[in-house]
Amino acid sequence: MRTKAYASIFRMNWKLELQYRGAVLGGIICQIVFGLILVSLYRALYAGRPQVMPIETVSTYVWLQQAFFRMILSSDSDLVGKIRTGDIAYDLVRPLSLYGYYYVRIIAQKSMGSLLRAVPMLVFALCLPRGWGIMAPVSPAAFVCFLLGLMIGLCCVSALENITMGITMRTLDPKGIQAMLNLLMMILSGNVLPLTLYPDAWQKVITALPYAQLLDAPIRLYTGTRPVTEAPGVLLLQAAWTVVLTGAGIALWKSNQRRLVIQGG
Amino acid sequence: MSYIEVEDLCKSFTVRRKREKGHFFREKTTVQALDSVAFSVGQGELVGYIGPNGAGKSTTVKILSGILTPSSGSVHVGGRVPWQDRKEHAQHIGVVFGQRTQLWWDVPILDSYLLLRDIYRLDEKAWKTRLDELTEKLQLGELLRTPLRQLSLGQRMRAELCGSLLHRPELLFLDEPTIGLDAVSKLSLRDFLREENRDHRTTILLTTHDMEDVAALCSRVMVLGHGKLLFDGQLTSLLAKYDRERVIEVSYEKETVLSGLPDGCAVTQTGSRYRVVYDPENVSTAWLLEYLQGAGSIRELTAQGQNIDQLIAQMYREMDL
Repeated sequence: MRTKAYASIFRMNWKLELQYRGAVLGGIICQIVFGLILVSLYRALYAGRPQVMPIETVSTYVWLQQAFFRMILSSDSDLVGKIRTGDIAYDLVRPLSLYGYYYVRIIAQKSMGSLLRAVPMLVFALCLPRGWGIMAPVSPAAFVCFLLGLMIGLCCVSALENITMGITMRTLDPKGIQAMLNLLMMILSGNVLPLTLYPDAWQKVITALPYAQLLDAPIRLYTGTRPVTEAPGVLLLQAAWTVVLTGAGIALWKSNQRRLVIQGG
Repeated sequence: MSYIEVEDLCKSFTVRRKREKGHFFREKTTVQALDSVAFSVGQGELVGYIGPNGAGKSTTVKILSGILTPSSGSVHVGGRVPWQDRKEHAQHIGVVFGQRTQLWWDVPILDSYLLLRDIYRLDEKAWKTRLDELTEKLQLGELLRTPLRQLSLGQRMRAELCGSLLHRPELLFLDEPTIGLDAVSKLSLRDFLREENRDHRTTILLTTHDMEDVAALCSRVMVLGHGKLLFDGQLTSLLAKYDRERVIEVSYEKETVLSGLPDGCAVTQTGSRYRVVYDPENVSTAWLLEYLQGAGSIRELTAQGQNIDQLIAQMYREMDL
């Protein structure tokens, strides 16, 4: 293993992500507006017909989703360009696994990108009145489990994105597949409508899918919807999906590599 | 066994073309990019690899560097099969593509070199020694802290070369390394490559359209056309085969008539200036000079050989490329 090499690639991409400060500011404003609109919407819903889930939990859910939006959003336009022109082949002259190289890069982009956005946004949400903003985690232990879950979710979403990229390598056009996968992502990850508000029977299915492992699972630990005693099961399911998706991605990229054609070369 | 052994190498691509009628279905055709190519290169050789656009040069380089898998044939580089032992192979080769960058665009080049140190698992001390050597030879000292995107083309090319040689590759692929460079940069780049080849016995495969590069650097050339290897040998003997014609340019005081020149002399006229192309094998130079002198009062006369680009163009024409 070339652990040191991948660690260096991670550091390099972290530093690069720091350069886009304008985008960070734009993202924060956009996500704050979205958060406020969504919370108002659910407050209006609750005013008419209160739900089992307390409103404080729902607003916390919304803010955590918005704060880590950058994590689930696929955004490596550089890589898409490289796939379209075939330049990605030139990365094969390095003594690295192509999958590993881009996996590390996506993790770096997503983690630094979300950290830069999440910290100021969560500070903002903490300042909002109860029922509008974010509440503290139910317990310190729940917070630790939340952080762990967030990290596994990060690996899981990166594996998912590498599969999208693997499919893009075959179709050479990212638009169709990405539009479809983004729609699935927005709905099934709980970004539009918190998964906690779906009917119970639906939730059983949805929470088992990979999309629920990204942010929904750690947020449930944070808010106490899933108590700390259930944390091992939650984290294990996340980890299982991560392993499966990573394995599938590696297989897909390997087979792509064999049938690789360099565009315009 | 030689350092590079290529036998019976073939590579074909499938190209989808639009049909003459209709927009929905496309026609599939197969293009034979390489057709039974075979050659061998010894350790420390500096070989020029030339041929017109689309001849299959880049495809060969991509196969030799492990990026592409061939359709059939065998390739061994330093005992490795490039596309099978890709990662191990990559550790021993360096690649410079004149038209694309291998370094990281937005960071100072030193950051790229630090990352390369970790990617190639170089020992800190060995890396530093090599970096110092290369920065001195390539005059990069001042530029190490500048982001790649802010370098001029010539500076960027030197930065790329340094990046590709940090891990002391046994084999260096150069694809159009002097494209777009000014005369001074070109000359110093050639000097650098010659030294690198001499001092470290680095095997260099140079792909280019710039025949001056080939003439200055390579004693051996391989010519590829339509996916076939058409010539493999000394550059001088390749040129001798086609370097038959000589050119005499002559200006007269006033316009005159050049008639009765034997077959094999091609004359083009611009005012009182004439350009005579002839083959010294068929037409004696002494006779021609005497004839030209007799045709009128000469103001100026120059004689020259063909330049190397013309020779290559003629060779491609005769080989029907």
